[in-house]
Amino acid sequence: MPNDWKTYKPLLLPAIKDLHEISIYEKNNGYQALRKILKDRETWSPKNVTSEVKTANIRGRGGAGFNAGLKWSFMPEPDGKPRYLACNGDESEPGTFKDRKIFEFNPHLFIEGAIIAAYAMQVEVIYVYIRGEYRPFVKMLQKAIEQAYEKGYLGKKVQGSDFSVDMYTHMGAGAYICGEESSLMESLEGKRGYPRVKPPFPAQRGLWGRPTTINNIETLANVPLVMNYGADWYLRIGPDTHPGPVLYGISGHVNRPAVYEYPAGMNIMTLINDVAGGMRGGKKLKALIPGGSSTPPLRADMLEGVTMDADSLREAGSMMGTAGMVVMDEDTDMVDLIWRISYFYAHESCGQCTPCRDGTGWLEKTLRKIKNGDGELRDLDLLLAICHRMEGRTICALADAAAWPVRYSIDRFREEFERKCKKTVYAVA
Amino acid sequence: MPEIFIDNKRYEFEQPGKVLQFMLDNGLDLPFFCYHPSLSIPANCRQCMVKAGMPVFDKVKGTFELDENGERVIRYFPKLMTACSLDLADGMVVHTHHSDELVKQAQADNLEFILINHPLDCPICDQAGECPLQILTYKYGPEGSRFEHKKVHKPKAIQLGPRVILDAERCINCTRCVRFTDEISKTHQLTIISRGDKNYPMTANGKVFDDPYSLNTVDICPVGALTSADFRFKARVWEMNQTPGIDISNGKGCSTWVWTRDNLVMRITPRFNEAVNDHWMPDSGRLSYRIFNENRISKPWIRPDEKEQVRTTWNNAELTLREELDKVKPPEILVIGSPHASVEDSYAYKAYFKSLGVADFYFLPHVIPGSGDDLLLSDDQAPNTRGIRALGYSEVAGDKLQKLVASGRPKLVFILNDDILDRSDLAPSHLEDAYTVYLGTNHNSTSRAADLVIPITTAVEHAASYINVDGRIQRTVPAKETLYTNRRLNLEMSMGRPDHYGTKFDNWVTDANRIDCIPAWEFITRLNSGSDTFVWESSRRILAEIGKKIPAFQGITYEQMDENNGIQLKLEQDSEVNTI
Amino acid sequence: MSETKSFNAKDLSEIEKLTAKYPEKQAAVLPVLWYAQDKFGHVDPSVQKLVAQTMDLPEALIYGVVTFYTQFYEKPMGKHVLDVCTCLSCQICGGYDILHYLEEKLGIKAGETTPDGKFSIQSVECLGACAYAPMLQVTNDKYVNHLTREKVDQLIEDLKAGKQPGFESNKMPQHENGSD
Repeated sequence: MPNDWKTYKPLLLPAIKDLHEISIYEKNNGYQALRKILKDRETWSPKNVTSEVKTANIRGRGGAGFNAGLKWSFMPEPDGKPRYLACNGDESEPGTFKDRKIFEFNPHLFIEGAIIAAYAMQVEVIYVYIRGEYRPFVKMLQKAIEQAYEKGYLGKKVQGSDFSVDMYTHMGAGAYICGEESSLMESLEGKRGYPRVKPPFPAQRGLWGRPTTINNIETLANVPLVMNYGADWYLRIGPDTHPGPVLYGISGHVNRPAVYEYPAGMNIMTLINDVAGGMRGGKKLKALIPGGSSTPPLRADMLEGVTMDADSLREAGSMMGTAGMVVMDEDTDMVDLIWRISYFYAHESCGQCTPCRDGTGWLEKTLRKIKNGDGELRDLDLLLAICHRMEGRTICALADAAAWPVRYSIDRFREEFERKCKKTVYAVA
Repeated sequence: MPEIFIDNKRYEFEQPGKVLQFMLDNGLDLPFFCYHPSLSIPANCRQCMVKAGMPVFDKVKGTFELDENGERVIRYFPKLMTACSLDLADGMVVHTHHSDELVKQAQADNLEFILINHPLDCPICDQAGECPLQILTYKYGPEGSRFEHKKVHKPKAIQLGPRVILDAERCINCTRCVRFTDEISKTHQLTIISRGDKNYPMTANGKVFDDPYSLNTVDICPVGALTSADFRFKARVWEMNQTPGIDISNGKGCSTWVWTRDNLVMRITPRFNEAVNDHWMPDSGRLSYRIFNENRISKPWIRPDEKEQVRTTWNNAELTLREELDKVKPPEILVIGSPHASVEDSYAYKAYFKSLGVADFYFLPHVIPGSGDDLLLSDDQAPNTRGIRALGYSEVAGDKLQKLVASGRPKLVFILNDDILDRSDLAPSHLEDAYTVYLGTNHNSTSRAADLVIPITTAVEHAASYINVDGRIQRTVPAKETLYTNRRLNLEMSMGRPDHYGTKFDNWVTDANRIDCIPAWEFITRLNSGSDTFVWESSRRILAEIGKKIPAFQGITYEQMDENNGIQLKLEQDSEVNTI
Repeated sequence: MSETKSFNAKDLSEIEKLTAKYPEKQAAVLPVLWYAQDKFGHVDPSVQKLVAQTMDLPEALIYGVVTFYTQFYEKPMGKHVLDVCTCLSCQICGGYDILHYLEEKLGIKAGETTPDGKFSIQSVECLGACAYAPMLQVTNDKYVNHLTREKVDQLIEDLKAGKQPGFESNKMPQHENGSD
């Protein structure tokens, strides 16, 4: 099993020239999983496909890490009325840039995965929601979808079976919050992207009030692997509790920032030093954001032996998120960095819930004050208090995502924050 | 029956529903801003957070799991829940600020967040005194704010439409106004624009917020972000008295609150009535408050020998009228009733002339076809059309009225409170040969054409009932004094909050605001003095008398109407009920 | 001032096609706004009105949507809009330096348009090109990665000469090493 990273050959994004062309993809085992299912509907009933994917424990790659097959199983029994699969390619979490690789290099793997998911959930319409900034990549996916239609993998009676499915792309237009699944649905329905109150959950009432499942692009790209080689095979990749290949997006102060595909559970220091070529300019590592801007930053000394999987990162005091790793060297100004992250969340708060709407702005203003040298020590406690009051008090998790980086960086880099604050000296007579 | 435990007290519920509404129905307090019982639930203000949990059910044993003290083990939701969106569930346990410190803290925290960008301009804000944000901040808010930055600045004093003004800085983004135009009035004229703490409600560029129900957004705005262009800066809430009434500007008869200060009606707002208008009313009905203050007929007017009308005394008016009556025979009298007059006035009016031997009673309907809608505006512009039909008045169309006068050549014409000259082919010249008596509330073209004008009370000065287009009888309560009434002595009048608390703002001092008028029925009683046939002491007595004579009115009392916000009458035959 | 804008027959048939993808027409609001912005260069109030009328939807709804999404231009912008990412990875890899260099070079601040109407600069949130920082996006389309002052100079010159940047494919290192 290819768990040794040195000999690992990418599965999601294999090094095959022009793989985005359907003919090349087909030659390389492409659409075989779908064909296999449609050929033997008895063995591969929707229920069995779901259960196989559930067994494989593909943990959602969009950040939540929830078992994809389990999510599928929440869909109610079909009632003859429409139901939907929405594929989440909003990919707006700062530090994350992996799904675009799938659109560019291996779109058919995702399309095949989405078709299988649609089959498993007995869905006939798939929408692929992609952030508007990814326009060039939307065009690439669009072309691949057209090819899939031509070859009869999409459309009426897929490969001569009685299963029909359509796939449409839907472009966002610049709103981070639309990566939140209920906000994504609102946006798809042509509204302002306000997250919905849950319950009801999407599987009960999703797009246009009908059962809907939302899956991340990378998550769905894992599905053909599971169906081709079996859950058992898949489970042997990476750690037991977090199996499968992962697209690591490494950016920041490393020599070779890029997207890399390796099994989940890679040692973080290996990723930084060996995979990404080490620290740029020979500088010292200071901090790491392991999975996109909302995951709590880790100090360099906290990274010893930590691996990129849900359990290890939780233990280390952070989260897997989207595996978009931002590496920071010793010269990085943490206060500046956290202020910019706060600015991002204040800019992206949809404005619906009070604690988020006003809290994100308050955090940003207070951090700006500290960054500009006007902060006082009591502002740090205030920041912590604001974070505490935002967490868990809103409809969606944006408020939490905005609070965590602030809370944890003050906790982990307090000295640096304090240094930026004004020293109030009281004269003693 | 399913049960729920709120602050350790057990309640039973029958219908599925939400926790917040259930608490409100049971008189329990919980702060909230965005929730409105007649709108969808966005749960965006986050103010009604509670701690909630469910008992753990042991499926194997088939019983609830118990702890060592024999109490049910409760599994709480990991986060605080908004009570507005939380479904009632059997066995649910809810803790509010009364029994949970975290909830109490969360409510204060949330208010602190709301207030960081909310201007501290209560002293100049119209909403002050009836502002949920102000009230809830006093009750649940933090003692101070730790916010030391510049507040977000947004547009102020924006005229959204002819009747509504926006102060975007005061907005707390509850979205009630947007939901109202989306879900109730369905004009979709408002939206929230922008994002985060920069967002606020707005119309589309260049679009005017002219929704015929736009002022409802002012009512439901939980802050002073939306204010009424008409009422703005006119009065403070605590200076006004609030009296229940009904909208007499339309056939729907929405239940209203009549707000008075120094004996002037300052504004009209809707009063909840599930059977008629829910929480809403049309803008036109609110703005009709002016007819109670302005252009009122005060003191009788008389036209001496084809000259200009002049004021006269009640005594002279009465004597002149008696003389005119003595001159004519009943067939020479034309009696025109009014869909704008109350049931009691119309009954007394008709009963009196019937006793004189007059046989026909007419009225001119006040209907503008197509002006109504599916919500709260009827084509019928009058509050009591069905009422006077039930009393046996016959409808006469506008073009027929002139013929009626031309062919009948009446010598004496009585017109009850209705500007019939304005909406018929009848011109002042047609009435020249007759002596015309107008009993009315406001000066208009008909009153100006009359030879004798008797001032009568409006719906906010008398207790009287009206039957709306759907056949529901509802009544008014005097909210305003006349020259002859006193709110401290007149038992029909309600005393406002300021009366009870004796604030110094509650001084009704301006005598000019007290109109010299009496109810039409009372004038008729006076005319009839000497006979004891029609001597009514109050409109209650008249209603009781109607109840004895017309089956549909049987047993109907003011008390009943008050208790049920009006009573649906069985008026199958609207036709002639000429039993009077 | 504002001339009346309209969709021609081809536009309308395209819009119909966009709408056909969804069970409810409102879902096509974003696609149609994109279509309108491609045609007119922006979705200012007159375009919003046109979209609302064409789709038979309330104008306020369109206005609310336009102001929610940052990529829709509420007013006419420069011919080339340079969206410089200054978020997180780009921030720590010199995104602000590039932004300030551009500001200096074009003599405008972020959020402004050059007097000749050629360029607008915006400081934007993460564009998903973190490994290729600093970077910018040209008018909601192509990404220009690994920016240096020289590369910025070249880009501005190309754009002035009417040459749009091409698509930059960022290969995966694993593809370069272990290609079959």
